[in-house]
Amino acid sequence: MEPSQPRTGSASKDRAREAAELVEMGEFYFINQKLGEAIKVLKKAISLDPKSAKAHYNLGIVYEAKNLKEEAKTMFEKTLQLDPGFPGAQQHLDRLIGIGEK
Amino acid sequence: MARQFAVIGLGRFGYHVAQTLTQHRCEVMAIDNDEEKIQSVADLVTHAVQLDATDEKALRAIGVQDVDAAIVSIGENIEASILIVMTLKEMGVREIIAKAVTPIHGKILRNLGVSRVVFPEREVAIRLANGLVAPSILEYLDISPDYSIVEIPATERLVGKPLTEGRFQSQYGATVIAIRRKVPYITEAGESEFSEEMRISPSPDEAIEEGDIFVLLGPKKRLEQLQTS
Repeated sequence: MEPSQPRTGSASKDRAREAAELVEMGEFYFINQKLGEAIKVLKKAISLDPKSAKAHYNLGIVYEAKNLKEEAKTMFEKTLQLDPGFPGAQQHLDRLIGIGEK
Repeated sequence: MARQFAVIGLGRFGYHVAQTLTQHRCEVMAIDNDEEKIQSVADLVTHAVQLDATDEKALRAIGVQDVDAAIVSIGENIEASILIVMTLKEMGVREIIAKAVTPIHGKILRNLGVSRVVFPEREVAIRLANGLVAPSILEYLDISPDYSIVEIPATERLVGKPLTEGRFQSQYGATVIAIRRKVPYITEAGESEFSEEMRISPSPDEAIEEGDIFVLLGPKKRLEQLQTS
C-alpha cells in the first residue's frame, strides 16, 4: 500500500487540471474582451499551477492588450523560462523590448 | 511606376532607410564605396553600386540625377557628406535628404539647399526622453514647432463611454485622429493573440474599449499637460 505518494500526485494533477480549465476560461474572457475578468482567472490559474507556461503566456497577452507593458514583459519572460519554445512568446517579448516588428 | 530613391552611405541608418524603402516597393539604388556594405544590401535593393559618391561622372553613369529623392546618410565624414550634397545639387537631383551629426553640419547642409536635414540620434533621444518624463504617453512625435502627435492609452474610467467623454478637444485643444484597437483572436495553434486595428477619424459617438490607444494631434504646450494630469 502506498497511501501518501499517489494522493499527493493526484492532488497536484487536480490542481493542474483546474488551472487548465481556468486558462480556457481566461481565453474565453479575452476573446470577449473582458480583460479584467481574464486577468482574475489567469492569476488564479498561475497560483494553482505555477509551472503552466500557457497560463503565463495568456496573462502576458491580456496585459499587453491592456497596455500594461511591464507586467506583460514579466509574464512572457516567465513563459520562456518555463518553456523556451512557447509559440509567440519570444516575438511578443521582443516587440515589448523594442527589438521586434511593431 | 515605383518611386525611385538613391541611398548614399550604407551605415546602420542608410541600411535601414534602404531596407524600409524596399519594403514599401520603392526602387532603391544603394551606393557606398565599401564593398562589404554593398554586399550586405545586394540582395535587398534594386541596385547596389560600389563607387565614390563625390565623383559626379560615376553618379551620372548610374542615373542618380533621375531619382525622386536622394538620401545622404554619411554622418561621420562631414567633408564627404558636404561634397556629395554639393554634387547632387549640381546634378539637379530634385529632393535631397541628408543626415547630420552636429548642429554646424546641419546648418551647412541647410545652406546648401537640402530639402530636409535629419539628426537621427537627437530625434530618437528627444522621443525617448519625452516618453520617460510622461509614462502615460506611449509615443510622442513633433510635427512642427507648435504641434505634436501623442499616443495615450484609454483609462478604465472611459471604457464603454463615447469618445466625447475624453474631452480632449475642450481640455487640450486636441483632436483624436485615430484609435488603435486590439482585436483578440485564437491562432491556428490554439493560442491567444491579438491584432491591431486602426480606426481613423473615429466618430465622436465611438464607444471606447479596454486597451484602446488614442492618437491625438494638438498644440504641443497643451498636450504637455497630459504629462501631469
